[in-house]
Amino acid sequence: MAKDRSQRDDYTAPLRRLVLGIVVLCLLGIFLVWRIDSPRVERFRAQVVDRVVPSMDWAMAPVTGAINLIRDFQSYQRLAEQNQELRRELRQMKAWKEAALQLEQENARLLDLNNVRLDPRLTYITGVVLADSGSPFRQSVLLNVGARDGIRDGWAAMDGIGLVGRISGTGDNTSRVILLTDASSSIPAIVQPSRQTALITGNNTAAPLIDFLENPDLVRPGDRVITSGDGGVFPEGLLIGQVAADPSGRLRVRLAADYERLEYLRVLRHHSAETVTDPGGVVMPATEVTAPAGPALAPVTAEEEAGDG
Amino acid sequence: MASPLSPSRLWLMRAAFLGLALLIMFFHLIPLETVPRRWTAPDLLVAFAFAWGLRRPEYAPALSIAAAMLMADLLFQRPPGLMALLVVLGSEYLKNRAAGLREASFAGEWLAVCLTLLAITVLNRLVLGLLAVEQAQLSLSLIQMVMTMLAYPPVVLITQSVMGVRKLAPSDAEAIGGRA
Repeated sequence: MAKDRSQRDDYTAPLRRLVLGIVVLCLLGIFLVWRIDSPRVERFRAQVVDRVVPSMDWAMAPVTGAINLIRDFQSYQRLAEQNQELRRELRQMKAWKEAALQLEQENARLLDLNNVRLDPRLTYITGVVLADSGSPFRQSVLLNVGARDGIRDGWAAMDGIGLVGRISGTGDNTSRVILLTDASSSIPAIVQPSRQTALITGNNTAAPLIDFLENPDLVRPGDRVITSGDGGVFPEGLLIGQVAADPSGRLRVRLAADYERLEYLRVLRHHSAETVTDPGGVVMPATEVTAPAGPALAPVTAEEEAGDG
Repeated sequence: MASPLSPSRLWLMRAAFLGLALLIMFFHLIPLETVPRRWTAPDLLVAFAFAWGLRRPEYAPALSIAAAMLMADLLFQRPPGLMALLVVLGSEYLKNRAAGLREASFAGEWLAVCLTLLAITVLNRLVLGLLAVEQAQLSLSLIQMVMTMLAYPPVVLITQSVMGVRKLAPSDAEAIGGRA
């Protein structure tokens, strides 16, 4: 290599080796810090994504639109038969709508009779999908709403019909939704009508697995799967999908949300989730023994939190 | 005869390499693939880094490759730093072998790149496994590795014909003022 280099390069070669060494050490350091203190680095990642991706948005939207247009072009060819099909479905839907309205009225009357108060805090914020995870190994999407809009980690994201995932990682203007299909996602759920509890765990395939079923014999393909609200992570009763059995006999969930077209997602505000802000009593028993220190500690941690953010 | 390596062209091509990396990341991030697939596309970022590094090491210095790959790690939700580290080490290894490969045919270069990709994939999974980081299926990693290997020749073709990044011919090297 050195033979077709100028003499100047002979002096820069050690310098280049030094730079390479520093770069390697830095990268190794970043990886180790991530492994040791993952939340802090993930927050840094959320901030980087928050800065970079929205600035690409002006170019991303038209390119995505153009590619989707080309994909849709094939479906235009059988527009007529599709139209027929839709009309047929619409007639069925009208019948269902009528039934639903009657049931809703009946339900309202019954709730009124029983003096039931519905949770008024369960409202939602709608966000647009900016980007996907960009890698085949992770399943997540980025929304254009973030901490500025009041989004918090752990809230549920739905499309119009079913659960899509949970918020994990919020920047100021963006937030990441870990989809139910991601390998790190597991959601406590109930299978209706047998009311069996289970855990819906994603494994990077289109249909997540149903784990920890008490009695699999009571569950049949076609049963509805909804969130159970266990652990206060999610509100109760959000539709996840239907039970399906794969050829090897494992039970999976066919998701209700349309994962082919994730464009707008609703993020449900959910305030009952407990957040861990200070070391628990197990770690610091001293604060419980000395009574005056207890209240004094709270504002200090609050200030520290504000200083960090 | 300063044209192939004048400072302005050097910095232009360095910027072009980073721009190319950003363009590839941009197309990765477009929200079209929200359903898990059974196969994966080739990792074009790594393929282009190797192709540029083997042809003109000065256009894709270790610092550029590290910056681009670290950005990709952060944006693609990968463990930050590990893939960047492996790709930087792999590209430096290839650059050091470039002198030997320069006389060899393209097949020799392709073989060296394939072996480096294999080493990167194995080391990546090994380190993540040792540190108990959860990973996707092995099949996906293997498919991506093979796809990247297959994509390397077209990537080289594009690098040479469209982007004009070619190996220095011996006559150019002499002209620049070598001692050969």
